[in-house]
Parts: sequence; structure tokens; C-alpha cells
Amino acid sequence: MLAKIIAFAPPLHRAAMLGFVLTVLWNVPSAHAQSGPADQLAIPGLIQSYCLDCHATHSAEGNINFEAVLAPDTSFARRFEILSRAAELISDGSMPPQDEAQPSAAERGEFQDWFESQFVESIQASPGAFRVRRLSAHEYRNTLESLLGFKLELAVIEAEQTLSETSLIMKLLPTDPPGPSGFTNDTSQNPLTLVLWDQYSLILDSALDDLLSQEHLPKELAGEPEREQVMNFLASFRSQAYRRELAQDSQQRYQTQLHKHWKEHFGNKSDCSSTSDHTLVNQFVKQELKVTLMSPAFLHRGFLAQSERKNRELPVDAFELAERLSYFLWADMPDEGLLESASNGSLLIKEEYRKQIRRMLDSPKARNLSEDFAMQWLSLQEIENVSNNPPTMLALRSQPLDFLHYLFTEGRPLLELVDSSVSFINPHTARYYRNERKQLTAYRKQKGIEVEALPNQKIQLEDSTPRGGILSMPGVLAMNRGPILRGTWLLERILGEYLPDPPANVGQVPRSPPGQKLSFRQRFELHRSQASCAVCHDKIDPLGFSLEAYDAVGGYRRAADYKPTKQQVKRGEVPEGAIDTTGQLPSGEHFKDFEGLKQILVGEKRHEVIENITRRMLEFALARKLEYYDKPTVDKIVEELVEDPESTFHDLIFAISESLPFTHTIYESDDAK
Amino acid sequence: MSWNVDRRRFLRSAAGPLLPLPLLNLMTSQTRAGEQKPPIRFVTLFKPNGVHPPSWNISGGQEFDFRMSPLMQPFAEHKQDLLILDNMGDFGFSSHANSTRRFLSGHHKNTKSASVDQLIAQKIAGDTAHKSLELTTEGLFPNQIGCSYISYGQNGEPLPRESDPQLVFDRVFRNPLANPAERKSMASLLDRVQEDARSLNRQAGSQDRQTLDQYMTVLRETEKRLATMNEKPAPKLDFSKLQRPLAPVNLNEQVEAMIDVMCLALWTDSTRCITYMLGNSNSRMIFDFLGIQEQHHYLSHFFRNFSRHNLDALLKISLWHMEKFDYLLKRMKSFQDGNGTLLENSIVLFGSGMGHSDNHTATRIPIVLAGQGAGRIKTGRYIRYAKNQELGRLHLSLLKRFGVQTDSFAGSSDLLPGLQDSSYEHYFERPFESWVKYEDGNITAQGRLRLSDNLDEAKVFFVDIEGETPVRIEVSFRDFHDFNLAYHCGTAIQIQGAGKRQGEQLLMTKVLKLDSLFGHKPGTQNG
Repeated sequence: MLAKIIAFAPPLHRAAMLGFVLTVLWNVPSAHAQSGPADQLAIPGLIQSYCLDCHATHSAEGNINFEAVLAPDTSFARRFEILSRAAELISDGSMPPQDEAQPSAAERGEFQDWFESQFVESIQASPGAFRVRRLSAHEYRNTLESLLGFKLELAVIEAEQTLSETSLIMKLLPTDPPGPSGFTNDTSQNPLTLVLWDQYSLILDSALDDLLSQEHLPKELAGEPEREQVMNFLASFRSQAYRRELAQDSQQRYQTQLHKHWKEHFGNKSDCSSTSDHTLVNQFVKQELKVTLMSPAFLHRGFLAQSERKNRELPVDAFELAERLSYFLWADMPDEGLLESASNGSLLIKEEYRKQIRRMLDSPKARNLSEDFAMQWLSLQEIENVSNNPPTMLALRSQPLDFLHYLFTEGRPLLELVDSSVSFINPHTARYYRNERKQLTAYRKQKGIEVEALPNQKIQLEDSTPRGGILSMPGVLAMNRGPILRGTWLLERILGEYLPDPPANVGQVPRSPPGQKLSFRQRFELHRSQASCAVCHDKIDPLGFSLEAYDAVGGYRRAADYKPTKQQVKRGEVPEGAIDTTGQLPSGEHFKDFEGLKQILVGEKRHEVIENITRRMLEFALARKLEYYDKPTVDKIVEELVEDPESTFHDLIFAISESLPFTHTIYESDDAK
Repeated sequence: MSWNVDRRRFLRSAAGPLLPLPLLNLMTSQTRAGEQKPPIRFVTLFKPNGVHPPSWNISGGQEFDFRMSPLMQPFAEHKQDLLILDNMGDFGFSSHANSTRRFLSGHHKNTKSASVDQLIAQKIAGDTAHKSLELTTEGLFPNQIGCSYISYGQNGEPLPRESDPQLVFDRVFRNPLANPAERKSMASLLDRVQEDARSLNRQAGSQDRQTLDQYMTVLRETEKRLATMNEKPAPKLDFSKLQRPLAPVNLNEQVEAMIDVMCLALWTDSTRCITYMLGNSNSRMIFDFLGIQEQHHYLSHFFRNFSRHNLDALLKISLWHMEKFDYLLKRMKSFQDGNGTLLENSIVLFGSGMGHSDNHTATRIPIVLAGQGAGRIKTGRYIRYAKNQELGRLHLSLLKRFGVQTDSFAGSSDLLPGLQDSSYEHYFERPFESWVKYEDGNITAQGRLRLSDNLDEAKVFFVDIEGETPVRIEVSFRDFHDFNLAYHCGTAIQIQGAGKRQGEQLLMTKVLKLDSLFGHKPGTQNG
């Protein structure tokens, strides 16, 4: 990509273009967001009567203190965060706990009305203030490699059953901790550090050596380039690295600097004919390239976004938009096609915008959505702990990843996440799919190879329909051991519920009392019978126990086939033939087994599942935590997706890419604070 | 790492000849100025997956009078710089992971203390920039993670390893902390990016300014670090003149480039202790560049996966390992160090953690010391101990040679005798007469059986007879298998068969009878 310089179109009448676009594509309400501390709020009657015993200054259980939340100097955002969660728990009946006094239906209704009026109706959508953001390690690798046009690989011999880090960059850069959004591309809390600086420098020394080697030398620098050729190359590289067409004054300033430094090196000479000059030119070029690649504008996104600082929401410029798209879908810089579309302004036209998105989803780089976004959203990296034999582990992990890639890029309906008739298997996972395994092409191991990692093939599920969807894939079942982890995962990752940490003093699940044979489920129910446990466990347990027909490594066991171990029988832990997968959700729905629960998830719980997918993907796309002023945006997207029974991941990706916070921003002026 | 393991990495050079190594841009006669007495170094080269004993073990042999075994041929020219130790190890058998730990930790249960290299490094590092380097060629083998490590830190924790020679070179020689030229270029870089950051500051909002402030803080801190480094005396050598290795395209180039970097790091006194694993134990590597398609571990089980082809492939791989040991010694000899060579001022430990690669014996583990460590060991010898010597004794003795004060290591409190002199008990073999008779196409011979030195013909054997030309045995696969010829290598036998005379040489082409003089029968001996 480096070799080809984008032919930038002559400056456009950008303002006019943006005006046009605003009406065509970004038809969103313009509004101001609430910000800063709100006034003291009167404590609503329900909270006053039913909540303050446990959630006030004297005893803030679960770290919730309504007196503090409603105090005058608490920000609107904080109040929203706490009270919206409270409203949810109060409306679904989980709070107050069952052994406490309960409010009447009328009181609950009154509280909901108060909440709606204070925190829902009054909130207007806002894109939030603009923030620059450092590239995550993953984004940095993709960006640098796209820019250079080759991969930075470590010399390491790759062998089967052996895990080798092959990327120089991933080896050297520290792992990014997830930001407040839960995703690692949210680097807002992870500034540049000395370690990072040193590692960037070490990486670039190696990368630029490679770039100027015979194998990769850009053609502009081949032979004996004249001074102007070198200058042009450096200027064009800089604009590529900064992922945009640069302002005139910035370009001029850069040229002046370059000439100054050239003069320091070479005096007034403008050709580089002698060999010693050639080495010096290489050194000069290398140092200049390193300056570009160590500068804040390369290492961060958004420093060069061009806009007036007016403290009100404005559409982002076309290059910023291109970059938002490419880091969302690819975790990579925009490619040539995208930059060209930004340069000539066509990206700002809805049809072209969608065309670009479709093109990007067809690219192999869109694998990022499953490997980066979904891996983190669904914590699929935990499958690594399931097996220490890499071919097995990779088979278990690649299955959900291939499936998600298929859902995302082929525009499958959103709810196929939970229920689908397609899966991806290879000979290592085939044993979980009794009849469907026949769909695999015959596999024969080559002589002298002990175990090897294998690619998946797409299969149609006919008999193993309970295996459809991501929840009952063997790797996912195995990474969440036991009903409680499975239930918690389902609740948090699929239904999007927030669960506080369990208290520290939960103790152990008791053994069966003498003379009784209780199942784990029965014993667990004794253990969690306290009302304060029930607040969460009423939600977690039915979900988790619905998957009891799957064993710890994800295998399927029918209740009738289930044979407890001798030890289990001896200890009276598992009465023979007893696998209880029935359950009732706190919202009332009954189900017989996991299949029944699945139908509830794609039926009655459809709204919750779609809202959760939307929120997670939007957070990833914006690389920030969602705030109260994003609620209208989320609500609008979810409403549209829920309405159409066939809504697909493509619809969701379009909706996010066209949403207010994705396409607009607020550039705060200096006196904003 | 997965089904798309890039085998092309190997294949790329399989067709053509191997590329010559980049010549180091160094004058080997150059001596570091002002150096009085060169430091002593400790280098370890680990060969994974044990050996094929008939081709590794020395047949017969006394301390100063011995014939290097077929597998030792690639480094035979260094005979005078070697101390070959035999009958090293423990009784019994060992898993891959346990044997790998044993190599430098003495015993697999020694899991709470540092490995011997780290204890030595601690003692000899002085003010070198890198206390030690831990190197390897491949990734981690999580199924038995112990297969991936030989070096362990102070609490017995595995130390991460590097496999990329360019990366190791960059870390040692390009680090601005160690290299004034790099510091200068970093300083000018800091000036330039500061300029850039300032121009951005003009248009940034208040939140973004914070990000810029953090960036500027890092720049200032880096400037401070450079200034501190500049106050220290400049190193005697200009590292900018050292040639960075090219990116390797296969395992052979990777290992040779790494050995080049190792020698530079030792010679420039950037470090004094290096451990290098030629592969994980249990390695699934495929030696495509040698024309082999099977995994190393599969082939190393030469008995259970026995075939002529598999054995030939295994021996090719083993020979390659030996060639790399030879390469290391040659390179170390090419650097002038004080009044001697780098090798003379080093002790190199080469070997494996297990003996027999198919049945994983912990006895007769291949162990070779090279270099004199400035007089700390006496080379040019072959020591076959009368009694089995656990590796912990070797480690304890090495610790002592390097001045580490300790009474025991890995449960061993006895030193290994014989490293500096001949005060040890050599393996005693019952004397026997050797003779040969030839009559009408029938050969009967009594003597010690050994494999041909040329492992390309590993189906050819010789019976050594005092004062006579050895009898050459070249028989069908059937005979090779039925009489288990390889098993008897190194021991005295009486053999009877059909053959002919070719000039001086008697050639047996059919075996009729084979008796072990001292009753060794297959399956009755350890190893």
C-alpha cells in the first residue's frame, strides 16, 4: 500500500458537502447533553421507605448509597448509572429482597414514572465530547503492518502442539488492560508509558531496517533518488501514516523541517550518487520515518481531526469517519479505497458509505470482528484454559470464532447467535456431533505427525440441534465450569445484565444431610436460600442449571443415560437418573430444558438479547463506555432491530456506523471547563 | 501454531543450497583495549530428545586414547578442546519434561531453586548489561510445559526465552542505554517529535491536552535517562560497527545467526552466561530443510517407529545438532580474547537431558564440556566413569569452578571427579582377546562391534580387531533386525557369517551366529 500514493482530490467545498450529508445521511436530532453536577434531587418515596435501611450512608450494601447518589454534587452520569440499575431491579421484582417489606404495585409504578421523567424523557441524544485515543497493541500492529506493506514476524520455528508468538509487535508490546468499556481498544485509561516508548522505538528500528532492505525498498527510493524524490516520499508516507490528507500549513511546515535537516546532513547537495551518500540517505530517511511513526498523531487516533471547536455537535470529517469505520471493522487503518472515498467526499453519501461497509465486511480483515470484538465480548479467550494441547484447544476456540465470523460477515439474523442450524467442526470436535460428522471430508493424518491442528468445515445441524447457537458449543460450555459460572456468563454476556461481585463470606455448598440423597442443585438451593442471595441467584441459577445436560468438558449427557460415579452415589450426591434442567425465570417463563430456554431467549427475551448485542458492539465501535446520553441512540437502534423479525448483523453494523455518536462529535473549546 | 503452520519457512530454502552466513564485520585479531584478564563465560547448548545410543556412544576407549563416535564426527576436529563425559545420569527412565529439568537443575524434583546457569550467572555477571541470555528456537509446548525450559530463576520459575536472532541483537547492541550512537539518534528524535507534539497542542482541546502532557512527560523522562547514561564512561567498543544478522529463512540459518549473536554478546562482554535450546524436548519440529517430513519427536522413538527410513531421518537430524555444536566451537575459536580465544576463556556445556531417545533412559546422558575456562577444566579427554554419576555432581563441580560457594546441589553433595585431572575411576571392562578367521567364504571374528563412522551408511558395522583391519559387516535388513546388531555396538562379540576378502578388507554379507562375550542380551541392561 505504501508504494501507491493516493491521488488526493482538490479541496472540496467541504462545508457545502457536509450540509448536504447532514440532511441525507445523518438525519439526527441536534441536542445538548446534560453535563456537570445536577441539583439536589428529592429522595423519591419508594427509595425513602424501602431502600435506605440497607443502601444509605450508614450501611451502603453492595456499595450503593442513595443519599450520596441524590446529593447535590453528584454528577448526572453517576445518578443515571445507579438509578437506572435500581429501576431495573425494582421493576423486575428482585429488589427489595423477598424477606424485606415489599412496595405495592402502585408504589412501584410511581417510582418508574419518576425515573422516566427524570432520567429517560429528559435525556437527549448526544455524541459526547471528542477524545483522542492511543492505538491498542492490536491496532498498532495492524496499522504499522498495513502502512509498511509487510508483516513483522519473529524468527521462531512453528511446530504442531506448540504455541509460538510470531508477531514481533505482539511480543514486545505490553498487553492492554480492558478499558471502562470492557474492551482493550478503549485505551482511555492507559496512557503512553516509558516501557511503551522504548518498545515502539525497538520495533521501529527493526521495521524500518526491513523497509529499507532490498526485499521491501519502496520504489521511490530505489537507485539514486534525488532530494525531491526523497522529500516527496517522506511527505506522502507521513500523510498515509496520519491516515488523512494533511492541511496545507502542516505540509509546508513539514517540508521546511525536512529541508532544514537535509541541509544539516548533506549541505546543498541534492543527489545521492556516491555510495557513502546512499548510506547517509538511508539513515536520514530512517530517522525521518521514525519521527513520523513516534509522533502523537500516528500513535493516537483523532489528533488531526479537523473541526472548529464550538462545543456543539458536528459531523466528523470524512477522514475521521473512514478511520472510525476501519478501526471498528478491521482494527486497522483505512485502506486505499476508503481513503480515496474520504478524499473525494463520496464516503459521506449514504449509498457509497454502505457500499464501503459491505466491501470491508467482505475483506479478510473483517475477521477482526470475531477475533477481537467477539473474543472479548464473550470472553472466548478463556477457552485457552480448557485444554493444554493446542490442536484441541484451537479446535474448541475456532468453532465459536468461525461461527461468529459467519454471522457477522454473511449478515445472518441476530438471534442466530443463540439458535442456529449451522456450525463449524473439525475432526477434533467431531465427536460432539454424532451424525453430522459424516459431513466432514475424510481426514487422514500424514505419517510421522502426531497430532495436528485442523481447519473447521461448515456443517448443517440435523440431529444435534441443541448444539445450534453459541451457548452449547463444547468450548463455551467447558470454559464455564458448573451451573453457576454458566448462568452468570449467560446473564452477563448474552442478556447484558449487570451482576455485582458475590459477597466474600459465601462459604461452601454443604454436603447432603445424613440419610438424604440430594443433587448438587438441591444442595445449592439450600445454600443460597437467603433472600439477599436470591436477588442474583434467582436469575443465574435457572439459566445455569438448564445446561446440566452438558458435562464439564461440554459433552452431552441425556438424563436417562446419565450414570453417576460410584463415589457420587456413595456420597449420596446424585440420585440416579436425575438431571434437572427445568427452570423458571424471575420474569415468570417456565422451561423444561435448555432447548426450552433457547426458545425463550429468541422469543420473550429477544429484546434483551438484541439490546445487549447492540450495546456491546456500539461500545467496541466507539471504543468507549456508553453514557446516559447514548441511551436514546441505543433505544432507537434496538427498537428498529426488534421490530423486524429478520434483523441481521449487517443491519446492526449499518445502524451503528450511521448512529449519532459514530458520525458526530463535540469538539470542546478551551473554555469548556 | 495451527493448521496453517507456515511450513514454507522451511521449504523456501529446501530446494537450493543453504545461504552462506553474513560475515561479521569484525577483525578477529582485534583485542579490547585496556583489558587485563578476560572474564570467564558459561555457555550451554541443549540438544532435545536424547540420542540413538549406538551412534552416540564411544566404542571402548580410554581417557586419552579413544575414537570419537559416528555422531561426534561433525565436531571431531575439536577433540583437544573437549572433555567428553560418559556414564552420566541417574538410573531408570525419565519423561521429556523431567529430563529437560534435569539438564541444568540436576534433578526434576529440584523445582524450588535456580538452575546451575543462573547461579553461575549471578556470580560472574559483574557489571555486564545482561546477567544472562536464555535462547531457544521454538515456542512453548503447553502439554508438558517443562519441555520448553532449561533455565530457571531464583525460585525455580521458568525463564522466558527468545528465538529471534535479530531481536536479541537489537536488545543487546541497539539499546540506547548501551550504545552512545543510539542515544544520540534518540536525542534528536526526541527533539523532532516534541516539535510535532507542540504543533498539535495548539489545536487540541483540554482533554486531549492531558494526553499530550502524558506524551511529553515520557519524552522528558527519556531525555533524563539518556543524560544519566551519557555520564557513564563510554564502552570500549562502538557497537554501531557490529553487523546485524539477516532475517533467517529456516532453522539452520536461524541457529547459526543466533550463535553469531551469542559470540558477539560474549566477546563484547555484554553478557557472560547464555543458554540455548536447539529445540524443546518432545519437539514436533519438522526438518524440511533436510528433506525430512516427519516430526522430530516421532522419529526419536526410533525403536517403536522403526524403519530404515525413519532411522536415517533421525540420524540426519542428530548430525545437524552436532554440526551446530561444531559451529558454536568454531565461532568461539575465531574470536581473539585476551591472549587466547573466546573458547579458551569459556566453559561450554553441550548435551541432552536423557540418554536413549526411544526408551527415555536417564543413564548415559550425552554430556560434553568444551573450552578450558582459563584452566578450570582439562580437555582432550574421554571420561567413562566406572559408576553412574548423577548430573547434580557435574553441576556442583561447575559451581565450584566458577567460585559459587555451596555444599550441595539438587541433592548431590559429592563433586564430580576428573574435571581437572585423572583422579577418577575409569570404567572397567573385562579383558578379551580379539581375532579373526577366514576360510572358504566363512568369516568368524571376535572383537568389539561398532557402527560405521559414516552415518549415511548406518547399516554398516565393523568388528575392531587388534592389529588387523576391522571386519566390515554389511548385511540385509533381515539380519540387521534378527541379530539386533545395533544393540551390541560398543561391546565384545563373537560373530560368524558368510563373506569374502576384498584386498585387506574382510566383508561379511550374511550373519549366521552372534554371541555376546559377556552375555549382554537385548533388554537386560539399562540403556
